[in-house]
Amino acid sequence: MSSTQPAQPPRTSSGPGRVLVAVYGLFALSATARAAVQLATQFDEAPLAYLLSAVAGLVYIVATVTLARGDRASRRVATVAIVLELIGVLTVGTLSVVDPAAFPRATVWSAYGVGYAFVPLVLPVLGLLWLRHTRPTS
Amino acid sequence: MIPALAYALLALAGAATVWGLLTAVLDKPPGKAQLLFDAGVWVATAVQSVIGLVRVVAGYRPAETATTVGYLLAILVLIPLAWFWANTERTRWSGVVLAVAALSVLAMTLRLLQLWTQVPA
Repeated sequence: MSSTQPAQPPRTSSGPGRVLVAVYGLFALSATARAAVQLATQFDEAPLAYLLSAVAGLVYIVATVTLARGDRASRRVATVAIVLELIGVLTVGTLSVVDPAAFPRATVWSAYGVGYAFVPLVLPVLGLLWLRHTRPTS
Repeated sequence: MIPALAYALLALAGAATVWGLLTAVLDKPPGKAQLLFDAGVWVATAVQSVIGLVRVVAGYRPAETATTVGYLLAILVLIPLAWFWANTERTRWSGVVLAVAALSVLAMTLRLLQLWTQVPA
């Protein structure tokens, strides 16, 4: 089917992008659910880590929706969200390694996402590469 | 939860993961048998979640009750969403999407099993 229009790059939600959106959706769900449970039950213990979980969840939700839509405006928002995600995982990852006491409870980004097989570290890189790959030609 | 059911679910989810990756490698969209199998895996997760939630309501306390309940609920949406997403564009990538969901169900069931069998701190 795609061979009939070789000039057009694939849509962000098409082909391998389908898997990318699925994995973003998975992280949107897990980060948000984690934040909800933590905010509801143990907020007093480490509010910063839990708020970071909530922020991570929001970033993943925005990235999931915008990558699935894939129009011009969505691509722009997706780029911003994924850059934020990359900054987040690098910052929180580094801080959680340097100063574990500041992050007594795990977030998705703690230790660069070790609890999630480092997928949170790889995902933004793949996301940005995919946005580049699917850039409109005109 | 019932550990025997959880172990059975681990095996089913593992098989669904391999099946999804297999159709991706063979460059095929998921077939009818595969989609039915994934639906069956979902039924098993639903049974597990219902049993788990009923037992929590009845007074059983796993290691982290709120987390356990969150897992028991969240695990239910994975396969239906993946099923829908895999079928709206049927390519080899559909199999990878199904595999991602099945692998997540496997990982979450492992974590649930841990939480469920630990004595609360």
